[in-house]
Amino acid sequence: MTRTPAASGRPHPSQTPGAGAGETAGAAVATAGPAAFTLRARGIVKSFGGTEVLHGIDVDILGGRVLALLGENGAGKSTFVRVVAGAHAPDAGTLGFTGPDGAEESVTALDPLGARRRGIRMIFQELSDAPDLTVAENIGLGHWPRRRGFVDWRALRRRARDVLDSMGVDLDLDAPVGTLRIGERQIVEIARALSDDATCLVLDEPTAALSAEEVERLFRFVRRLRAQGVAIVYITHRLDEVAAIADDVVVLRDGAVSAAGPAAEFHRSELVTAMVGRDIGVVRRPDAADTEPGAAVLEFRAAGSPPAYENVDLTVRAGEIVCLYGKVGSGTADVADTVFGRRRPAAGSVHVFGREPAKEPRQAIDQGVGYLAADRQREGALITRSIGENLAAPSWPRLSRFGAIGAAREQEAFERWSSTLDIKAVGGADQLLATLSGGNQQKVLLARWLERGSKLLVLVEPTRGVDVGARADIYTALRAMAAQGAAVLVATSDYEEVVQLADRAVVMIRGRVTRELQADQITTEALTDAAGG
Amino acid sequence: MKDTTSSEEGSMANVTGKKQTTDTTPTEGTVPDTTPTDTAPPDTAPADATPPEKVSVDKTPAGRTSTDPAAGGTPASKGGDAPPTARRRARSAPELAALLVVLVALIAFFWLKSPYFMTKDNIVNVLTAIAVTGIIAIPGTMLLIAGQVDLSVGSGAAFCGVMMATVSQNHALILGVLVAVGLGILIGLVNGLLVTVLRVNALIATLGMLAVLRGLTEVRAHGATVTLANFSGLGTARPFLNIPVPGLLLLGIAVLAALVMRYTVFGRSLYAAGSNPVAARLVGVRGGKMIVVAFVLSGVGVALSGLILDSQLSAASPNAATGLELSVVTAIVLGGASLAGGRGTIQGTIVGLLIIGVLNNGLTLLNVSSFYQQVASGALLIIAVSFDQLRLRFSKL
Repeated sequence: MTRTPAASGRPHPSQTPGAGAGETAGAAVATAGPAAFTLRARGIVKSFGGTEVLHGIDVDILGGRVLALLGENGAGKSTFVRVVAGAHAPDAGTLGFTGPDGAEESVTALDPLGARRRGIRMIFQELSDAPDLTVAENIGLGHWPRRRGFVDWRALRRRARDVLDSMGVDLDLDAPVGTLRIGERQIVEIARALSDDATCLVLDEPTAALSAEEVERLFRFVRRLRAQGVAIVYITHRLDEVAAIADDVVVLRDGAVSAAGPAAEFHRSELVTAMVGRDIGVVRRPDAADTEPGAAVLEFRAAGSPPAYENVDLTVRAGEIVCLYGKVGSGTADVADTVFGRRRPAAGSVHVFGREPAKEPRQAIDQGVGYLAADRQREGALITRSIGENLAAPSWPRLSRFGAIGAAREQEAFERWSSTLDIKAVGGADQLLATLSGGNQQKVLLARWLERGSKLLVLVEPTRGVDVGARADIYTALRAMAAQGAAVLVATSDYEEVVQLADRAVVMIRGRVTRELQADQITTEALTDAAGG
Repeated sequence: MKDTTSSEEGSMANVTGKKQTTDTTPTEGTVPDTTPTDTAPPDTAPADATPPEKVSVDKTPAGRTSTDPAAGGTPASKGGDAPPTARRRARSAPELAALLVVLVALIAFFWLKSPYFMTKDNIVNVLTAIAVTGIIAIPGTMLLIAGQVDLSVGSGAAFCGVMMATVSQNHALILGVLVAVGLGILIGLVNGLLVTVLRVNALIATLGMLAVLRGLTEVRAHGATVTLANFSGLGTARPFLNIPVPGLLLLGIAVLAALVMRYTVFGRSLYAAGSNPVAARLVGVRGGKMIVVAFVLSGVGVALSGLILDSQLSAASPNAATGLELSVVTAIVLGGASLAGGRGTIQGTIVGLLIIGVLNNGLTLLNVSSFYQQVASGALLIIAVSFDQLRLRFSKL
């Protein structure tokens, strides 16, 4: 499967550009900065416990260029960058460095210290800052300037100010990081890496939790860093970002490079094909549902729960999918939480199946509401338990008899839904949930509510961190459920999701509903416009 | 330990601080697999167990079918060519097997060193010695699986023992027993409510309770041993195979508890609450209620142990069972239950108990001073917890 980067995945000139947000304008900006950093990884092989997860990867990471590393969950992206960052030692292959002075050096493995010394810094998806410390302290974290054994606060602030200035950001140096927004905290983390002389910056899905505005700001830094000659490795799921930011692209599939080359040479659909091995990534509207929606299942009338949202009017009828679209923090998740009894409405009226909303989740489940939280690991998965238990948990009262329940019952429940949702688990219901990929885990959590027979599904960011293939499966399943009379409310910050899923879309900005789009009005342009760009 | 499941905010915190950040990568965990494979009797099917209508999904719009060859290569299939049962064994066996190897090695060592070790009398001695610890460690395992811990067990046992003895001096024996069991339940209830309703960290709440109960015990006993007549049956009778009653009780309780943890909603709810308190609440599991019940069970175990101690000594000492919580926690963690919650089995705890029992007994036979035995017990706890941490780290990678 090993191919040389330039040789594989050559685009077909005849192909027309894919639909969607992917425009090729951004990629043309590739400035040939000074190539201070050069890393040529050759034939990288890595196994975990007898399973080979990287089968010989060739990747070039060059200073002054942005490399987009694409691939579905489990394709080996994280493993590869961990090898580069010195967290994993590869079983075979070499990492060849060329220093600024042209000195060649080839190593078979890096330790974290060696990676640091060469200027390689990783920004992980999860924030790794110290929330109680200030912005300046966080930027200096790990290398605080000292004078006579004490922290030199003046030098610390000066260095933080310099770095933020060079990034073109204005943040209060004395604000505790915990009080900042997610996007700002990420900037602080990048500033920390830069103040520590990063020459190669690895960003692991940095935009997963960012608003469109914050994404644009992030892209501005990335371009600025590129101009300064920093090598940037950008891991992402989102293809529109590749067109916007990347100079080069490497696609991994099942631990091997399936496409590589300059980003401008690839169309979106080719990248999708390289990622999943089939062409399903085109963002397009589903065929209009031929069934008329039924009675209103969920009604918000001038409902408010300050400071999260105010004066929200919203109706979801049986048999329709309504998407609540807004940036992270716009209140969409809080509206969803209200339906599931995680938040109380303080004003106006909310009716679920014509009744008062539940006061706690257990009551909501009894009313027939199913719920997926945005953070699957923290709020959804029973990670040490089997798939069967995870799937059956809300249905235990029904599946048990005098409090007793056997694994056979859960096995049956799993078999009922595994084919419907195409859950890939070789070990069946007995397999631990933790051993599944993100997409399959999410399918199991969705199957919970199918098994429970929920008539109203409230889903927050249902496909975050889910690979393209599993995403399509989840959409298909949701459409099928709606067609059979279930009402679905999806709170999302992903406009492509809205386009692919919604019968109606309600757009929120800062806790208020700003627009409602009917089926024929839902386009990526209309959505981004309504959400304030 | 974690705070209770009754609140999202409270339950986000846990002592190791690991859990929230560790589980982002799906991995092949080295987790003791407790998933039962046995099937439930078919005749227990309730009438209302009919599943909801199956949703039929048309996959053609997405341009794929389940037989798509590309679909077979997705991450879920990594390393998963072995049949399910083989996988299960591969994951769960090494841990329990390793423990059994340690146990067998210890037995072999002491057998070689002391001719008395493998005699019938001594084996019964070991069983009797672990019975008191075990009857507390079984509900303790349930608690740790739910992410909680009870440190008040040692002084609780002494308290129940002294209360029983003092009440029995002036009243019927049975009244003393009832008082002891009632107090055990009360202690468990107070612990449970402190942890779930007031959301006091379980380590701290039960550490406080440990001191409170030891003090009350001394007060009640006026600092002296209370003698007790006609109550030796519970501790010393050997009704079956020459095994004393406490050993039989431990065996019965362990089998019962193992079944409960495997085959009941209660057991599963404890696992769920320990595995992820927030997620458990969001699937409708009554984690808080289940934790209170587990604390009450722990209180019952404590009362029972107190009675057994009384009976074995024909007296109740206010200093009885000092430091018992140490052996209890060691046995549980050694047996594979994780301090982070969500993992552990009753079987593992039994093996952990046997290792401690054999070690203590063997060292005594070899005339090792009790001071050094104390050193060994502490070291064993530290080793057990270190293994727990290593296990968590490897399952994270």
